Amino acid sequence: MNKDNRTLAFINLYAILGTVPKLLELDAEAAALCKGKKVSIGFKVKGGPSGTLAFNDGKCSFYSGLKGAQVVLPFSSPEKFNALIDGEYTPIPSKGFTKISFLLKSFTKITDILTKYLRAGKKDLENEEFFTKSTLLMFNVIAGAIAQIANEDRVGQASASYIEDGVIKMAIGNDAAIALEAKGHKLTVLDRVPEDFRAYMVFDNMKLARQLFDGEVNSVAEVGVGNIRIGGFISMIDNVNRILGRVALYLA
Amino acid sequence: MRKLNEYNKSRELFARASKVIPSGIYGHQGPAEGCYVPVEAFPLFSERAEGSYFWDVDGNRFIDYMCAYGPNILGYNDPDVDRAAAEQRKKGDCITSPSYKMIEFAELLVDTVATADWAFFAKNGNDVTTMAVMVSRAYTHRKKVVFFKGYYHGISPWTQKIDYAGVIEEDVCNNIYTEWNDFEKLEQIFADNKGQIAAVIAQPYMHGNFKDNELPAKDFWAKVRKLCTDNDTVLIVDDVRAGFRLDLKGSDHYFGFEADLICFCKALANGYNVSALCGKQFLKNSVSDLSYTGSYWLSAVPFAAGIACITKMRELDLPKILNEKGEKLKNGLLDAAKKNGFDLRITGAPSLFYLRLADDNSLITHQRWIAECVKRGVFFTSHHNHFINYALSDGDIAETVAVADEAFKAIKGL
Repeated sequence: MNKDNRTLAFINLYAILGTVPKLLELDAEAAALCKGKKVSIGFKVKGGPSGTLAFNDGKCSFYSGLKGAQVVLPFSSPEKFNALIDGEYTPIPSKGFTKISFLLKSFTKITDILTKYLRAGKKDLENEEFFTKSTLLMFNVIAGAIAQIANEDRVGQASASYIEDGVIKMAIGNDAAIALEAKGHKLTVLDRVPEDFRAYMVFDNMKLARQLFDGEVNSVAEVGVGNIRIGGFISMIDNVNRILGRVALYLA
Repeated sequence: MRKLNEYNKSRELFARASKVIPSGIYGHQGPAEGCYVPVEAFPLFSERAEGSYFWDVDGNRFIDYMCAYGPNILGYNDPDVDRAAAEQRKKGDCITSPSYKMIEFAELLVDTVATADWAFFAKNGNDVTTMAVMVSRAYTHRKKVVFFKGYYHGISPWTQKIDYAGVIEEDVCNNIYTEWNDFEKLEQIFADNKGQIAAVIAQPYMHGNFKDNELPAKDFWAKVRKLCTDNDTVLIVDDVRAGFRLDLKGSDHYFGFEADLICFCKALANGYNVSALCGKQFLKNSVSDLSYTGSYWLSAVPFAAGIACITKMRELDLPKILNEKGEKLKNGLLDAAKKNGFDLRITGAPSLFYLRLADDNSLITHQRWIAECVKRGVFFTSHHNHFINYALSDGDIAETVAVADEAFKAIKGL
């Protein structure tokens, strides 16, 4: 089944722009671009999602809705917002003209850095530090995209309808862990993994995670050789994996 | 304390297999779909099997409670079935004109299965569940089919779901999914789809994975039967999994109703590859109308094996014996769990028991216990119902309970 623009807008906002806070944690250059600055940018998509990135002295948080947003970027449709992410559209703020220089300079540079990590070239990935940051950011984006596809995409919703309530832990060895919380067949990304998770999927190491994200290895095959560990209420993992199959469709 | 199994050769072979076979071992007998948690606790390839045991390539022996996921009902290499198969093999197997064994087998099924006026043979369960749905559509000229959530009816696209790889919306757009044992909801579905439902397809009771198996509620089947009859909808029982372990006359007979079509495979010929669709007279002409066949579907060796298998099962009144063995095992396992302070739930029919440790809701404790059992030579799975076979002895059951006890102690760290 084809992807739809509305779901893609949710992914672009929650998973892609929602990864900016993680970028600032991992990348000093990106963090420096908003050092000493306090600006919040809201994204308002007609017929789609709305959310705000709040920058504060080298750190950033993301939240749903526009409450407290100093700059608001309105989009007349999900397609227009998706065009922004693809670098093919420049919106005009409906609010916060005094912060426009941050938007045009710092924010644009931050998103450029994010793009560099998410669309990494082969040569860049030979650098171990870059490879690690890029993989961790991709991990974040993928977890976010899984949640959005589960909640918004028609086929993803079918998978989510079979996911029982509880927390699914996804981890890369001991390097990184993210949790997806299922409640009433809706998924939310949790920053911290609670101790009482109900199912888990752990990738053995960063290299394997990367190969999996890039579609170079298959998760079923890797479970067989023990490079991916699954356990707990495995039907939750099965359904997350089906959603994961659609992440590639949206993010390709 | 028992020596724990090692699986070095299995691992080596799996690495070799992975180079030339997608995911090494695909499907339900593979480590991913088979939920081998952790994978190191389980054998991956077998060397041989006999009676209620199989031996893996590392020489470890297992008391086998999966029975090849059902086919092994009399015991691996049952002498009577194997003799009949060997005699037929000498005469011929896959021949231009089919062997008359086909008629004998069909006659035996018609004589054995309560709802059967005829029998049609294929190879796998999926062949006959697919055929049953086609027959229902041919007969009713309708499209929609009702399924009960948690079902498994095979691997053809119509049996899968919209989010499965390789399945397109059109494959499943006439599927209606509802809750097991919820008759009111089913009744509403019929009201909402008046004159459009070709079939209701169901296993005789809910043996879905990862959850306690659920028997039909009182009068559920009688009400479903009447609803189908009143609406000219074909009632299909998928007895591929439970067939001949509850009732030789069919699991519909066990639960006191008559299906229009009933699908068999697994235990039909004790491991020889044949499946059967049986049904009522009024659907026979619709079957004849179908274009549906396969290269090996009329092979004679599995027919001979099937005749011997059903004959022996009838002589033994096998479901009664299997359920007695299952009951004995169940009591032993429950005692071992209680003694060790674990909350073990055993659901479904004793001959097809499903295990779950309810001490946490994640199945993590359960998976640890299952792994410890497997490492000690008792092959259980953590997600699927199990199967009892006739060769399982009292000694095997006693050994299983002893292993279970040791496994409980192991996960307690004793």
